[in-house]
Amino acid sequence: MSAVSTRGSRLWTRWSGVVVGALAFVLALPLLVVLSSPLHTAAKDWGHVATNILPSYAWETVLLLFGVLVLGLLIAVPTAWFVICFAFPGRRFFRWALVMPLALPTYISAYAYAGLLGPTGTLTNALDTSFGLRPDIVGLPGLCFVLAFVLSPYIHLPARAAFAQGMRRPLDAARVLGASPWRRFRSVALPLARPAIAGGALLMAMETLNDYGAVKYYGVRTLTTGIFRSWGGLYDLGSALRLCMVLLGMIALLMWIERQAQRNIPRATDQVPIRPVRLRTVQAWSITLWCSLIVLFGAGLPMYKIVGDVFADIGVREWSASLPAFGNTLFVAFLSAICTLVVGILFTFRDRYYPRSRSATRIAGLGYAIPGAVIAISVMALAGAVDRQDLFEAALIGSVGILIYAFTVRFLAVAMQPLAGNLQQQPRSYDEAARLSGATPWQAFRRVNLPILRPALLSAALLVSIDVIKELPLTLILRPFNFETLSTRTYGLASIEQLQQASWPALLIVICGSVPVLLLERFLARN
Amino acid sequence: MNKSLLFLPALLVACSSPEPETADPIPVEPKVVNLYTHRHYDTDKELFAAFTAKTGIEVNVVQAGDDELMARLEAEGAKSPCDLFITADAGRLGLAKTRGLLQPSTSEVLSQNIPANLRDPEGYWYGLTMRARVIAYNKNKVKADAIRTYDDLTKAQWKGRLLVRSSENVYNQSLMAALIAHQGVEAATKWAKGIVKNMARDPKGGDTDQMLAIGDGLGDIAIVNSYYAGKLLASDEPEKQKAKALIALAFPVFHAGVDGGTPIIGTHVNVSGGGVATHAPHKAEAMELLEYLSGTEAQGRFAEGNKEYPVKAGVAMAKELEAFGSFTMDSLNLEALGRLNGDAVKALDAAGWR
Repeated sequence: MSAVSTRGSRLWTRWSGVVVGALAFVLALPLLVVLSSPLHTAAKDWGHVATNILPSYAWETVLLLFGVLVLGLLIAVPTAWFVICFAFPGRRFFRWALVMPLALPTYISAYAYAGLLGPTGTLTNALDTSFGLRPDIVGLPGLCFVLAFVLSPYIHLPARAAFAQGMRRPLDAARVLGASPWRRFRSVALPLARPAIAGGALLMAMETLNDYGAVKYYGVRTLTTGIFRSWGGLYDLGSALRLCMVLLGMIALLMWIERQAQRNIPRATDQVPIRPVRLRTVQAWSITLWCSLIVLFGAGLPMYKIVGDVFADIGVREWSASLPAFGNTLFVAFLSAICTLVVGILFTFRDRYYPRSRSATRIAGLGYAIPGAVIAISVMALAGAVDRQDLFEAALIGSVGILIYAFTVRFLAVAMQPLAGNLQQQPRSYDEAARLSGATPWQAFRRVNLPILRPALLSAALLVSIDVIKELPLTLILRPFNFETLSTRTYGLASIEQLQQASWPALLIVICGSVPVLLLERFLARN
Repeated sequence: MNKSLLFLPALLVACSSPEPETADPIPVEPKVVNLYTHRHYDTDKELFAAFTAKTGIEVNVVQAGDDELMARLEAEGAKSPCDLFITADAGRLGLAKTRGLLQPSTSEVLSQNIPANLRDPEGYWYGLTMRARVIAYNKNKVKADAIRTYDDLTKAQWKGRLLVRSSENVYNQSLMAALIAHQGVEAATKWAKGIVKNMARDPKGGDTDQMLAIGDGLGDIAIVNSYYAGKLLASDEPEKQKAKALIALAFPVFHAGVDGGTPIIGTHVNVSGGGVATHAPHKAEAMELLEYLSGTEAQGRFAEGNKEYPVKAGVAMAKELEAFGSFTMDSLNLEALGRLNGDAVKALDAAGWR
């Protein structure tokens, strides 16, 4: 190790606290704007909002959340267990097909389902003529169904990762002691995977609470639609921000519950992967059937609708309009992934070696809990305050830079999750060995922890890109002039009820999103 | 070498706010006009291209929700690059005016092209295209003269037959605001309760979905915007044919007093319109674009391409809408819609209109 690099490392170790602290502060600013809103934004109609909007909207939010989580767990956890533990026909196909819904934005899936199984949907009418049935997916129960399927990979992926590693010995022990397969799943695997499942469920809950497009179209009233009703309908930003605080309170409660789920967990110790068990034909095929149904509802039906619409509206016009949007989408996804990754690495470093900074980095990660449109308002208020000082030639608002900043605020938690998870699995003795041989904390992190973190870094980058590709409200309002992404293009067409035309950019989003999804899946399969 | 340093150049690029070449906010040459618009229609894009071809003025666009755009204008303050703010709701234009986001302007051309009730009395904003809140009905089941007034919709005969989208939508909020302007909050709330009582189902979907529901027999009358009806009637998508064959339009009117009192005031209309932003760097170009959009050529394209009613007299409406004839529009100055939108939302909440 050269002297220069040692001095640099010392310097960096000393100053990293300041840098990370400043970064955490900058990233937490939008949250602070929301939390301090009672001090700076009057809520003229809070009385009306608190009596007429808050109770019913909060109640429907709770119902939706409950429905989505219960259904989501039922969809995601068993399939994860099957794919890891059993050999059945089509297993390799299902490994990635079960993750595919991740590439579908919720609003696109919701619109597609409404077109098929809504009150006037094509399948609804087909079922009516053949069986006299008229299902209607557009409503609260239907929305639970749609969101649970499209968001299920958020639980499926971590559950699968947890099942895949570290359970071989306890499961073998249980088998030797005569536990039935069901009992082994329930009493051994499930408790061991509980932290991972709870973490995934938390992400799923936040996605549900944040949703606006699907919720509005299905006529369900959640706190997020309440925020828009107060702001856009009553022209009362103050009340909207107060509702946002209620939403944050709800998320804080969920985070607390998730923390409880992490406690008193016996840690899996071995690194031996589970070898899939061969099953009897009937059993194997029933699993195949079950997984096929999940894939059909999660990705098959929505894709059938989107591709069908694309063929019905085949033409060069929409295609050529969507192409620049395609490029812009990849551009912002790439930059945001890199940006969140750099911040994520710095934060995990501080978390690991200086546990006192943990609260700062955790607060910075709360951006994921705030609806995108609210982040956008806070970011604009902040950037506007800077712009008005005339410090820079170019304005921050309407620049790609501020868009990337907003994405980092919003999606840092998504990147931190795999990084923190991976780091937790690295024994402390690694760090101690490095430190004892004279390395500074930063050197120890860079040369010992970081190389082991590499797979988690890739997962983080892919997850953030997928989210950015699908993101709508932040992009819509913060973008520069003449800057379309695939999601703004889809939304624009859907908002004027040109759903068939909207299938073009929607399909491109799915294609664009499936690349990182497939990479992620292949990558997780190999590790 | 520290590998994470490799990311730094990318980070710097990300943070140095690069501007796409076309988006330079304050250039000297060539002439540009910067637009914040809520409208997503392709017709608009074609019109802007035609405007550029005609005048050499380039049109830069940011499209987003109108509330978000107003927040952006407010945050940008004097440094805002925005010249022209366009939204699809007169209420929002009124609000932008009271929040100091627009500046007054006068133009001979605009005053000539646009009727007085469809523009701000002080010249802060101008209506460019008009849509009416009309009733689509199943012509096999409903007589052509069954619905003459908005009050008729609350009659017991429509119980379980009325389709309408959620009150989350601004078109319903504006209709309610107009009713409050004419009849007061109490009567309007009573009306909304009557609507809720007659609903065939909980409100869901958009305007087009209500008409499709008529096609599938889920209801017989629907409150919709005229241009969605026009688009449906022009559509050749197979799923829309059933509704297309069944639907006719009625143009209900408001009364001045409660319970069908006279005189008749007219059908509720709203406009898409624009106003020059307070800190517009290119005011002259903005006015030129506004004037162009109010002219015969653009008005004709709005009508044909997007099935909206032209505001300029003498320009033909879309042929799909022509079949239903002309109508008397509400003479209420649309500035009232912005003022009363909050009251409308409260009354809708009180009536239990989801």
